[in-house]
Amino acid sequence: MTELLNMMIIDGLSFALPLFIMAIGGIYSEKSGITNLALEGFQGVGAFTGAFAAVFLAQSMTGALPYYVSFLCAIIGGGVFALLHALLCIRFRANQVISGVVMNILAMAMTTFLTKRINAAVFGHAGNKFLLGTSARFTVPVLSDIPVLGAVFTDVYPFEVIILVVAVVMSYVLYRTPFGLRLRACGDNPHSVDAAGVDVNRVRSVAVVISGCLSGIAGMSFAYSISANFSADIYLGYGYLSIAALIFGNWTILPAFGACLLFGLARSGGTVLIQQLGLPSSYNDLVRILPYVLTLVLLIFFSRSNRSPRALGEPYEKGKR
Amino acid sequence: MNEQEFIVEMRGITKRFPGITANDGVSIQIRKGEIYAILGENGAGKSTLMSMLFGMIEPDEGEIFIRGKRERIDSPRRATQLSIGMVHQHFRLVSNYTVAENIILGMEPEKKCGPFPMVDIAGANAKVAALSERYGLQVDPTDVIEDLNVATRQRVEILKMLYREAEILIFDEPTAVLTPQEIAAFLDIVRGLRDQGKTVILITHKLEEIKQVADRCAILNRGKLISVMDVASSTTSDMARMMVGHEVSFSTPKAPPHFGSPVLRLENLTVKNAAGFNSVNSVSFEVRAGEVLGIAGVSGNGQNELADAIAGLQRCHGGKIILNGRDISNLSIRERVEAGVAYIPEDRHNVGLVLDFTLRDNLMLKQYYRARFAHRHVMDEIAFDEYGKELIGRYDIRSNQGDATITRSMSGGNQQKAVIARELDLKTPLVVFMQPTRGLDAGAVSNIHRQIIAERDRGAAVLLISLDLDEILDCSDTIAIIFQGHINKIAPAASLTVEEIGLYMMGVKGGEAA
Ligand SMILES: Nc1ncnc2c1ncn2[C@@H]1O[C@H](COP(=O)(O)OP(=O)(O)OP(=O)(O)O)[C@@H](O)[C@H]1O
Ligand SMILES: [Mg+2]
Repeated sequence: MTELLNMMIIDGLSFALPLFIMAIGGIYSEKSGITNLALEGFQGVGAFTGAFAAVFLAQSMTGALPYYVSFLCAIIGGGVFALLHALLCIRFRANQVISGVVMNILAMAMTTFLTKRINAAVFGHAGNKFLLGTSARFTVPVLSDIPVLGAVFTDVYPFEVIILVVAVVMSYVLYRTPFGLRLRACGDNPHSVDAAGVDVNRVRSVAVVISGCLSGIAGMSFAYSISANFSADIYLGYGYLSIAALIFGNWTILPAFGACLLFGLARSGGTVLIQQLGLPSSYNDLVRILPYVLTLVLLIFFSRSNRSPRALGEPYEKGKR
Repeated sequence: MNEQEFIVEMRGITKRFPGITANDGVSIQIRKGEIYAILGENGAGKSTLMSMLFGMIEPDEGEIFIRGKRERIDSPRRATQLSIGMVHQHFRLVSNYTVAENIILGMEPEKKCGPFPMVDIAGANAKVAALSERYGLQVDPTDVIEDLNVATRQRVEILKMLYREAEILIFDEPTAVLTPQEIAAFLDIVRGLRDQGKTVILITHKLEEIKQVADRCAILNRGKLISVMDVASSTTSDMARMMVGHEVSFSTPKAPPHFGSPVLRLENLTVKNAAGFNSVNSVSFEVRAGEVLGIAGVSGNGQNELADAIAGLQRCHGGKIILNGRDISNLSIRERVEAGVAYIPEDRHNVGLVLDFTLRDNLMLKQYYRARFAHRHVMDEIAFDEYGKELIGRYDIRSNQGDATITRSMSGGNQQKAVIARELDLKTPLVVFMQPTRGLDAGAVSNIHRQIIAERDRGAAVLLISLDLDEILDCSDTIAIIFQGHINKIAPAASLTVEEIGLYMMGVKGGEAA
C-alpha cells in the first residue's frame, strides 16, 4: 500500500512541477495583459532545442554536462520562439488568441520537420525523434525515510530541483520587485503604468519572453521524463493544462501550484489504480484524460469567482480614451 | 516682460486631428503659484491643450516653455521630470493595488533583501501617509483602490503627483464626478495646494468653482483662445457669454405645466443591491403626463438602482412598476422600450453607448429591428444612413467625420447629445433622465434643460434624477427627495425652499411622505 502511495507521489510530482513552471510563465504573460495560449508551442520548441543540444553534445561528451546544457538551450529556444508571439501581439497588435493558436501549430510543424532534417543531415540516420533516455534520478538520504512524505525526496529528477529554484526566484521577482509591480499593473490598467513613465510594451514583451523561457524548462523536463525523447508526442496538451492550472489559481503562483499538484496526482493516481485493478495497459490512455476531466469539473466551480486581469487581451494604445 | 515670472508658457500651439483643428494657435502664460482655470464648451480643445503640456501628445506647431526654458515634452515621463503632474478625466489607477502601490508605481522605493532588491512597501506606506497628512488628504495607504469611492480615488491621483514632487498640477474636470459636499472639500484641497506654493491648472465647466478658487481663467472656443479673464473682476455670466459667444441664461424658460393622467406609477418598488441590501426600499410615487418629477438626493441613496429598475437593467425584488395602467415590472428591456420607456443612463460610456461603434450605429441601437430599418432580419443600410444623418442634423451632434465617426473619439458633450437624440426620438410617453448633464459645458446644459422641458410640453412624463440640485430646481414641477432608498418628501417644486430640500437630503427632516 505505501508502495503505491509512494509511486503516486513520485510520479505526480514529476508531472506537476513542469506544469507548474509553465503555469508561472503563463501568469507572467497574462498578468502583463497578453493572453497566452501559446505555452504548448513554447514548451515544444524549448524541448526541441534542448533535445537537439543534448543529442549533439552526447556525441562528444559524457556525464551530466549535456543534461544541464540542454536545459539552458531549452530556455533560450523557448524564449526566442516567444519573441514571435510578442512581436505579433504587441508590435502588430494581432489578435492574441489567434496568434497563440498559430504559434502552437507552427511549433509542431516546424519542430517535427526540423527533427527529421537534422537527423538526416547531422546525425546521418533517418528518424523523427531525438532519443534522450530518461534522466537519472536521486534519492535524498534520511529525508526519504520519513513515512509518506519521504516519497517527495525519493527518485527525484534533477530538473525538479531546477524548477523549484526557478519558481522561487520568479515568485520573488513577480511579487517583490519593482519590475513585478509594474508587470502586474500592466495587466490591470496599462494607462497608469504609462502615466508613471514606464514603457508598457517593453514590460509586456519581457513578460512574454519569460513565459517562453519557463515553458522551455517544462518541455525539456517532459522530454526527459514522460517521453524519453523529443518527438511530436511532446504536443499532448500539457500547455493547455497549465493554462487551466493558472486560471484555477486565479492568476497567482501559489494557488496555481496547488492546481498543478492536483493534476499531477490525478494522473499518477489513475495509473496506479489501473495497475491495481490489473487492467490492460491500453487503459492508460483513459487515465491520461483524468486531468482534463478534472479541469472540466473544476471549471464549473471556479469560473464564477475567478477574475482575469482586467486589461487581458487588449493591445495597448497610447491615445485611447 | 520678465521671463522668469511665468512657470508655464505655451506659444502658438496648434494641434490637428483628422477632420478637426483641436487647438489653433493657442498661447497661454501661467504664473507660479496661481490657480489658472481653463473654460470652454465640450470639444473646445481643453483636454488636448493640457495633454500636450503633459506630453501625452505633441503639438503640430508651437513651443512650450517651462520656467523660461524651451522644452520638448515628448512623454509623460519627461513632463514628470519637469515636475508637471496631471489628473485625467478618467483616473489611471490599478484597481487591485493598494493606494501606496499605485502611488509609487514607476518610482518604487527599494530596500535590500539580502543581496536582492525589493520594493520597500513599509517605507512607501509611511511616506504616503506623511504626504497625505501634510496636504490634508485623508487617504489610508493600505486601502485597495476598488474599495474606494470616486472622491478618494481622486485624492490618490493627487498624491501620485505630489509623490513625484510635481509643482505644476493639471486637473481635467476634477469635479464632474463629485457630489456637492465632495466638491467643497476638493476646492479646499486645491486652495491648500496653492498655499503650499504649487501652481494649479483647472479645467472645469462649473463657473461657480472658477469664481470660488481661480485667479485667472482662459477661455477657449473651437480650438481658439478667446480671452484670459481676471476672475476677481468678472462675473460668471461674463465668462459664460465669452465661452459660447452669446448670452447664456442659467434658468430655463418654461410655461406653466398642464398635467394629464398618471403615466408612471410605482407601487412599493423594492430593489436589492448585490449584497442583498434594499437600495430602493418600498418606493411609491406617480408621474403624470406633462410633468417633470425631479428626484434630488445625495449620491448613493438608491438613485441608480431606481432608474435601472424602471429601465429594466435591474430586477425588481418587490412592488410594481406600472406604465399607463400596465404592469411592466417583469418585461424585458426591449419590451419596455416598445411599451414606452426611454432612458438616458448616467454612464454614457458603458451603458449608453458602444464606444467602438460608429455614431450612426449608436443612434440605431434602439430601433434597428423595427420594420423601417430591417427587412426579413437584414439591416437596411440605406435607411440607417438616412436616419443617422437626420438625427445628427436635428440634434446638432458635432463630430469629425459625420455619421461614420467612431463614437470613442467624440467629445463628451457630443456623446451625450447622441444618447439623448436616440432616446428622445423614440417619442415615448415616459422619459427617464439620469444625471443628463454630468461633465457638460454651460451651453450644452442649458440646451438639455430646454429639451427636458420640451419633452414635458409634448405631453411626456419626465423623471429627472440628478445629484445637481440646481438642475432639479431649474427643471422640475414636482420634487421628490430620496434618502437611504426611501422617498423622504414629495411636493410641488414651488412649495419647497433650497434649505428645506437640503435638510431632507441629509435625512434631518423627513418621514412625512405624501
Ligand atoms: N485622439 C483624438 N483623435 C481624434 N480626434 C480627437 C482626439 N482627441 C480629441 N479629438 C477631437 O478634438 C476636439 C477637442 O477635444 P478635447 O477632448 O480637447 O475637448 P475638450 O475641450 O476637453 O471637451 P470636453 O469638455 O468634452 O472634455 C474634439 O472635437 C475631439 O473630438
Ligand atoms: Mg476634456
